[in-house]
Amino acid sequence: MSPSPSPSPSPTMEHVAGEQLEERAARLYSRHLEGVWRRVDRLFARLMLGQWLFAIAISLFFSPYAWEGKAREVHVHVYAALFLGGALSAFPIALVWLRPGTALTRHVVAISQLLWSALLIHLTGGRIETHFHIFGSLAFLAFYRDWPVLLTASAMVVADHYLRGLYWPESVYGTLSPESWRLLEHFFWVVFIDLVLLFSCRGALREMREMAERRAVAELASEREQQKTRELDRALTELRDAQEHLIRVEKLAAVGQLAAGVGHELRNPLAAVRNAHAYLSKRISRLEEVTTDPRVPQFLSLMDRELNTCGRIISDLLDFARESPMSVQPCPLRPLVDEAVGVVPSREGVRVLNEVPEDLPVPLLDREQFRQVLINLVQNAVEAMPAERGGEVRVRAEGGDTTPLRVRVEDNGSGIPEDVLPRIFEPLFTTKSRGTGLGLAIVATRVQRHGGTLHVTSEAGRGSEFLIQLPPSVAAQAA
Amino acid sequence: MSGSAVSARYARGVLIATGLLWVVAVFGGMAALSHYATTPGESRESPARWPKDSALHPTPGRAQLVMLAHPRCPCTRASLGELEQVLAKAGGRAEAHVLFLRPEGLEKEWEKGELWQRAASIPGVTVREDVGGVEARRLGATTSGHVLLFDSEGLLRFSGGITSSRGHAGDNTGRATLEALLSQPEFVAEGRHPVYGCALEGPDERLAVGALP
Repeated sequence: MSPSPSPSPSPTMEHVAGEQLEERAARLYSRHLEGVWRRVDRLFARLMLGQWLFAIAISLFFSPYAWEGKAREVHVHVYAALFLGGALSAFPIALVWLRPGTALTRHVVAISQLLWSALLIHLTGGRIETHFHIFGSLAFLAFYRDWPVLLTASAMVVADHYLRGLYWPESVYGTLSPESWRLLEHFFWVVFIDLVLLFSCRGALREMREMAERRAVAELASEREQQKTRELDRALTELRDAQEHLIRVEKLAAVGQLAAGVGHELRNPLAAVRNAHAYLSKRISRLEEVTTDPRVPQFLSLMDRELNTCGRIISDLLDFARESPMSVQPCPLRPLVDEAVGVVPSREGVRVLNEVPEDLPVPLLDREQFRQVLINLVQNAVEAMPAERGGEVRVRAEGGDTTPLRVRVEDNGSGIPEDVLPRIFEPLFTTKSRGTGLGLAIVATRVQRHGGTLHVTSEAGRGSEFLIQLPPSVAAQAA
Repeated sequence: MSGSAVSARYARGVLIATGLLWVVAVFGGMAALSHYATTPGESRESPARWPKDSALHPTPGRAQLVMLAHPRCPCTRASLGELEQVLAKAGGRAEAHVLFLRPEGLEKEWEKGELWQRAASIPGVTVREDVGGVEARRLGATTSGHVLLFDSEGLLRFSGGITSSRGHAGDNTGRATLEALLSQPEFVAEGRHPVYGCALEGPDERLAVGALP
């Protein structure tokens, strides 16, 4: 059987994507070009100001006064630099400020810049070097990448030469009757530089267009990726919600199952309490026998013990079923371990050692929940000691601050059988005759809510180690 | 019509008016500047022969080239540049003098500024002061940069400026004519050219001399 062809976008979709790409590329190209125009506008505004100051400086330095014998007056060049130069610069600067990036501004800048060439040539006494200002200006105007601007500027050069050649031919050609081709000669060199600059402009525009197309492709791809990421995030959120819902459902099922177990578990202690109560009731009706009957204190003790058992079953059940909100705060670990050890009923021959360093960085914990974690682990460890011998339970801790905080509860008890080990964190799983199977499930849930992990290693006959690892954010030194 | 459309039309009108004003101002200004630059100084008739009462003592049988200059005239900078080129090509065919005006009543050394140094640095040029503009009047020069060429017979061959406009360096008919006259003594040409530069005489002196021809 031949493989089925992979699905491909329909021609309509391809057409729409192509149109989107084209439209995006055109928009990016146009935005880039306008940015270039505005940037070059600003550049010219600064140049206009600079040229004005330069013109004033050279007129003051080289031709401050015109003389008639010993009489002097301010030279026309100074006025020209000040007022004509000022007018030449002011209008384009105003347009750059008021209408940046427009064609009008660019063309006025071009006219003004070429008139600046003429003025500077005047002010520097027609120095041949100053004539290079014309070609420099054309090159500068090419920064606009707008060929009509070059045409305007070149037309200004040609018009200026034509009119000067007509009225003051000697100032342009050095002779009173220049040959007709002299204008064409000047014109030729302007056209030559124009062609070079036009070629350069065209190349720059082509590069900009290609760049816009590449950027449009990248942007569209990025947007598609972002869309996918958003969809993935939404799916993950839905999955997380479904998972939480499932956990709640499972928990409810577990609670239902637990209720049955609790009913079963409570039946025996309650029966014992009922019998003890019946017995005590009879005896109390004959008060004189109360003090002499040794079974009275024995039944009272039994009632107390069984009621405690009932209380613990109910407490575990509530701890597992309820999800109280986290309330983290800086919580020194060593005193918390002391407190937990103090709560756990002691056993003869079993020593519980708190080896948490006093200078351990203070972690951020939900004090009550983590205390319960420590109580359950220490109690399990104490109960793991075989009845025939004593043992030691050690609580240790290391790390913290910028590194993960590791808390270990070790015992040298009988260890956990291999077949039991994978199930010890399952709710309601217990190997104890009077256990609820909720202690370690509560520990695992609470460690997880602190963002940590819980691992257990055990060796039959040598003991077990429960390792809680909390991330640096929790382990951070509290301020 | 909405308010924004009216204000847009108003702004457009202001822009067009400003633009027109600007065009008139800058093109008018450029034209005025060009007119100023190409307007020659006043002229007076120069003597047809070397004046015998001249304070300069030319070597007999040698052509004499004299430039009358105002020591502080910025336009004369270009005239001196052109003179240097003329003399470089002339190859010592004439004795060259640059006479710098020192108007009456001014202290000594007033004329010895940047232009004096510039003229003195041109090979083959003798630089002298012209106190009170006596030599200038004798040679009929009223504008700074005025050059006169007398041939070895003492006949005037050229009188005028050697720049194309005020303070404007570069090729011009005056310099070309002078170069031709120096390199080919038999060359026949209209030995005149307008002089562009500052006036050598002040308004009062001009009145004292009388109306110019």
